[in-house]
Amino acid sequence: MPTRSRPIYTDPDKRKTLDDLASLVTDGAVVAVGGGLSSREPMALLRAILRRRVTGLTVVGSAHGIDIDLMCAGGALSRSSESYIGFEQDFGQAPNYRRAIESGAVKADDSCCYTLVQQLRAAIQGLPFMPMRSARGTSFPSLHPEYRQMVCPFTGEELLLVPAIEPDVALIHAQYGDARGNLVIQGPPVADLLFAKASRVVLATVEEIVPTQRLGELGGISIPYFYVTAVSEVPMGAHPTACYPFYAYDRPHTALYYEAARKGLDVFSAEYLDVFIHGSPDHADYLARIGGEATRKRLASWSNGPEAWKLLYLDEAMA
Amino acid sequence: MTITCGLGEMMIAALARTIEDGTLVFHGFGSPLIQLAMHVAKRTHAPRMVLVAGATYGIDPDPPFLAPTTNDWVMDRGASSALDIEDLFDLAASGRLGRMFLSGLQIDKWGNCNVTALGYPDIKLKLPGGGGGCNLSCDAAHVTLWTTAHRSPADAKGQRRFRLIEDCDFITNLGHRTRDGRPARELGHRGNGPQWLVTELGLFDFDAEGHMRLKAVYPDTSIQDILENTEFEPKLADNIETIPAPDRSIVQLIRRLDPLAVHQKEIRADDLRRGFVIV
Repeated sequence: MPTRSRPIYTDPDKRKTLDDLASLVTDGAVVAVGGGLSSREPMALLRAILRRRVTGLTVVGSAHGIDIDLMCAGGALSRSSESYIGFEQDFGQAPNYRRAIESGAVKADDSCCYTLVQQLRAAIQGLPFMPMRSARGTSFPSLHPEYRQMVCPFTGEELLLVPAIEPDVALIHAQYGDARGNLVIQGPPVADLLFAKASRVVLATVEEIVPTQRLGELGGISIPYFYVTAVSEVPMGAHPTACYPFYAYDRPHTALYYEAARKGLDVFSAEYLDVFIHGSPDHADYLARIGGEATRKRLASWSNGPEAWKLLYLDEAMA
Repeated sequence: MTITCGLGEMMIAALARTIEDGTLVFHGFGSPLIQLAMHVAKRTHAPRMVLVAGATYGIDPDPPFLAPTTNDWVMDRGASSALDIEDLFDLAASGRLGRMFLSGLQIDKWGNCNVTALGYPDIKLKLPGGGGGCNLSCDAAHVTLWTTAHRSPADAKGQRRFRLIEDCDFITNLGHRTRDGRPARELGHRGNGPQWLVTELGLFDFDAEGHMRLKAVYPDTSIQDILENTEFEPKLADNIETIPAPDRSIVQLIRRLDPLAVHQKEIRADDLRRGFVIV
């Protein structure tokens, strides 16, 4: 059975509200969350999705952290097929993610970065699978009975076949975009370009929507408009992860998040979800709650040079 | 006056010694000791190493300081170019990645690592996951393993959870033998598997069978420490050496590269008190 043909999007004006974007993520969808670790994750869009009480999502991706941890706490996930969820050496393991998996609320279908890349590439090329050598001999094939082995008809080598992953929706936060949905990603794209090409629907938030002719001077278009379903201008839309050059990683806010998460789901619900998600009607209110313009300015101060940048990450800054 | 360095600096120097000049080397995320080992190697004995930074995939960056997380623009400042995620893994799959560094919450005698879950298929404790480690453990020409938690004291209930363990509950990263005892070399992977393991107690290599073998201890650890804290019986090299302390210039370099002492987050509190004489 050939994979379904994938739509293109040609509406000349795809600008929508953040909530309009969130409404396009339906219960049970397979979702590719963009960015990675402490950088450029589509946090405002995820918060908007959580406010709508979406459930049963499967997430696929590479190395992530607070985004998937928050989705676990918010009850949105039923399956996680990411390659890593944690806060690295900075805070350690992801408390909500761990609880959700250990309680059975979320099924852990861990993947690995190249396996994911190959599965997305299959979808991008309209093929049912891609072969690879690696992962044979590890426990991943037992976790993923959908993988198959074959003997290469050309070389006689044993290969692992991994099926195409075509996410229902990709959620991407980029620095810049235009009204048509062209996106500029500055710095590491992580898996976002693969996600955009492999997914049926691409929902993008951007720090700034600018005229198309400015996209060239901002580094050129990373994701052409026809992949993108809808776009929304959401300044600080990746907070508390970084979206350079606009703002660095908000380490003190992440510490506050982590401290609440560490204490259990009840405490996290009361101290974080009820404050920053469900108790906060929209993104503008969220921005006020995290400290408004003062916080934005603090996180933008990285551009004053290495000394200013370093100050953002001092342990003393978290007190 | 005696001048000392910390355990982290000892381990960074030991990890850096496993890097050959003129090879393409990659680090993952959540591993400041490895980030520093690669920057030390590049600035000392391996100037022609191709340093690919994890998460940003920047080539030969010169970060102003080590950031507390890996996917931060701090870490790719000065990079001459950057790869996409698929480029790095393609380099490994096609045999161009010379060395990768991997770790695990369980590491067995064949160098298999578990970063996925304790208890499988019934998960008792979910671990964060291994990123691309599974793929790279098969594809990288050589692998250096490390852990800062080899010592495994009994918990309040008197139970010990060994880091160096007989068998991994789940094999995230492949070592020299599969779960059913098949030698990994029969699988036809690109890579040769784990070559070194650096822990806070000692340095290991792997014998011709792929079994872990103690090669050296620190000036303040003993073979007995190793045996007491390892669930299986490691092989012992004919001459157990002492891991040398880094030169003063290397210690100064590490402190310049990591002014926030991010790497100390990888080191247990007790081990932060250890000191080693340097010259």
